[in-house]
Amino acid sequence: MSIRTFRGGVHPPERKDRSQGTPIERVTSVPQVVIPVNQHFGAPIQPLVKVGEYVKAGQKVADAEGRMTVPVHASVAGVVKKIEPRMQSNNTEGLCIVIEPKDPPEGESAQDYMLPLDPFACSKEEALARIRAAGIVGMGGAGFPAHVKLAPTKPISYVIANAAECEPYLTIDERALLEIPEKVVDGVVIVMKTVNAPEGVIAIEENKKHAIPYVQKAIDENPQVKAGMKIRIQELRTKYPQGGEKMLITAITGRQVPSGGLPMDVGCVVSNVGTLCAIAEAFREGKPLIERGFTVTGGACKTPKNLVAPVGTLVSDLAKAGIVEIDDQSLGKVIFGGPMMGVALPSYEIPVQKNTSGVLLMSEQEAVQYEEDTCIRCGRCIRACPTSIFPALLAIAIESENYAEAEKIGLLDCIECGTCSFVCPAHRHLVQRFRVGKQVLRALKQKEAQNVR
Amino acid sequence: MSDRKMRLSSSPHAFSPVDTPRIMLSVVIALMPATAYGVYLYGLPALGVVVTSIAAAVLSEFLFRKIIKASTTVGDFSAVVSGLLLALILPPSTPLWMVALGAIFAIVVAKEFFGGLGANPFNPALIGRAFLLMSFPAAITSWTMPKGLSLAADAVSAATPLNLLKQGNALTDVAKYFGANDTGAFYRQLFMGFRSGSIGESSILLVLLGGLFLLAIGVIQWVVPLSVLASTFVFSWILGMDPVLGLLTGGIVFGAFFMATDYATRPMTPYGQAIFGIGIGLITVLIRKYGGYPEGVTYAILIMNTLTPFLNKLRMKKYGFVPPPKPAKPSKEATK
Repeated sequence: MSIRTFRGGVHPPERKDRSQGTPIERVTSVPQVVIPVNQHFGAPIQPLVKVGEYVKAGQKVADAEGRMTVPVHASVAGVVKKIEPRMQSNNTEGLCIVIEPKDPPEGESAQDYMLPLDPFACSKEEALARIRAAGIVGMGGAGFPAHVKLAPTKPISYVIANAAECEPYLTIDERALLEIPEKVVDGVVIVMKTVNAPEGVIAIEENKKHAIPYVQKAIDENPQVKAGMKIRIQELRTKYPQGGEKMLITAITGRQVPSGGLPMDVGCVVSNVGTLCAIAEAFREGKPLIERGFTVTGGACKTPKNLVAPVGTLVSDLAKAGIVEIDDQSLGKVIFGGPMMGVALPSYEIPVQKNTSGVLLMSEQEAVQYEEDTCIRCGRCIRACPTSIFPALLAIAIESENYAEAEKIGLLDCIECGTCSFVCPAHRHLVQRFRVGKQVLRALKQKEAQNVR
Repeated sequence: MSDRKMRLSSSPHAFSPVDTPRIMLSVVIALMPATAYGVYLYGLPALGVVVTSIAAAVLSEFLFRKIIKASTTVGDFSAVVSGLLLALILPPSTPLWMVALGAIFAIVVAKEFFGGLGANPFNPALIGRAFLLMSFPAAITSWTMPKGLSLAADAVSAATPLNLLKQGNALTDVAKYFGANDTGAFYRQLFMGFRSGSIGESSILLVLLGGLFLLAIGVIQWVVPLSVLASTFVFSWILGMDPVLGLLTGGIVFGAFFMATDYATRPMTPYGQAIFGIGIGLITVLIRKYGGYPEGVTYAILIMNTLTPFLNKLRMKKYGFVPPPKPAKPSKEATK
């Protein structure tokens, strides 16, 4: 099997060894959960419960009409204590539902799951409705509604399971491949059935080679594969940002997602390992997305480990319970997500949400920040940029507020992976400029459109 | 949780350890063998030129930035590189005050006037040499024979191989002038660097060694040097000159690896770099063949430097490039 990859990219120090050896640990009892109402990419939704109400685990607590909406469920059984704005993992305040766990009244179940649904005996509409009802979003980080992604309007030839896990530090997907490969494979076949794809590909980077035999075994033992479904493993060279949807598609199929287009334009659907497991659970157990796996690690974390915890668990509660030991003295930076694309937060009193793949507690030493120097035009960013958009030239265009040129170079094609800023020897804030530049450009275009009217 | 403030910043939160000073220092390291050999060949005067040039470059950058109240940038070692490069392309007998003047001109006028590191349109070291060549043509074109090779002439009036060829001497005579019996031996002698010339450019072997080191550690890329050398070879051959001799004499190898690859003044896009390199080779050969000077690498690179902003427009297609829709042709019915 040949090892494939994409053009450009970098190989930052992996630092996965801290947590990759520890099996996934399940967190069952938490003092409270703080569930952000809006955890998806799309239109906002509203709470359905009131303060003081008793909710069961898996009960829907927020929803709204509309295609780009995803409901949110109570992740524990208990009493709704507060519904108020709290700091979320995207570093903004948003409405959160605070639930305190409480045993259910005598004779009642603490769970409110849906009935299992056979994905191979139901229609496509039923399957998509189930995925939406389970509140599933892209769990790799973007939080895109899964029921929208899995309803492509173009024929699909590949379903790609994204197990690249190219972000340094994070190991939760690797652990899932080792411990529950059958669930991952089950998720792949369900998605293949839903989007009617002839082939499934599980994409694994070289540094997780040891997981391949487990996954292969799970593929061979899967009843649907035995019945004729085609799934293969594709080994990839370890490189960031291989887990980026576009890069992964190019690495595996050689096709390029057209500028401004979607993966379905080249006949692909890409889903993260976590999302696939959640989809499998939604069908087989009727369980909505109320808990997720994530890696807690970093130099200031004395106990790097992989956890599965209810959505809404505060990291500070994990620390108080002794599940995670944090060295407060050396702590310099708290990041939700990986070091390349994660969000820095002012504290770790922040809930884990559906798209939190890791919590990084960086030591002062790791969190070192550099002064921005002048560009020496070395061209490292140009060689590393996976989308070939010439970051150095783009930065010059943005600094001179030449947005027409910036758009021509490809500002809107930037995937914000941060590779350019990583390699810059002058520590230029390249991707940071592009993030701002994108918003300015979009605003300018909107204005222009209005003027035309 | 303590009340200590956490650092907040936009991602990424990890950075490559390769920074500007490290890159500049690796260039200095790559130049060390050629520098040491130059000092060995030409003795103390060469060492004086090297030290004076570096000192004048660093000092002038420091003082200039102090005067204009800008941040001090000597810590990035770019002035060290410029000073060293200038010294290596000067004749070993250059008077030290001229060397200092050239280094100051290179740093202050060619670099700092344009905004400092990365903003200069022309290679500072080459500007320094061009400035000296125009101001003091006699001093900058008088060459010294290397130690132990004072066969045909006394030290002051020695000529470089290209000088002699320019004057119309046959290759075998030039070889004899440098004490080689036949052209094969002469080529080997040139490759090892046993001939008159600038301090650092003599030994092709050591220059190549430094250049390959920079290629290996990823500080420079192969496009520019390869296209410069290939085009020099091809155009020399087309114009009826000895292509191998064209590469072995003069400063073309040094220029290809250390001057044309200068970050700020070469194009950043691969296509642009290829055209840039081909242009340098072509202009060098044209100057050698038809120009007033025996050697043309300095001007070839400076001329191509002017094209860099335009060559930067030769970008590769971005990922997922979709050609803009062509304007619909008016249908026949509409034109009726």
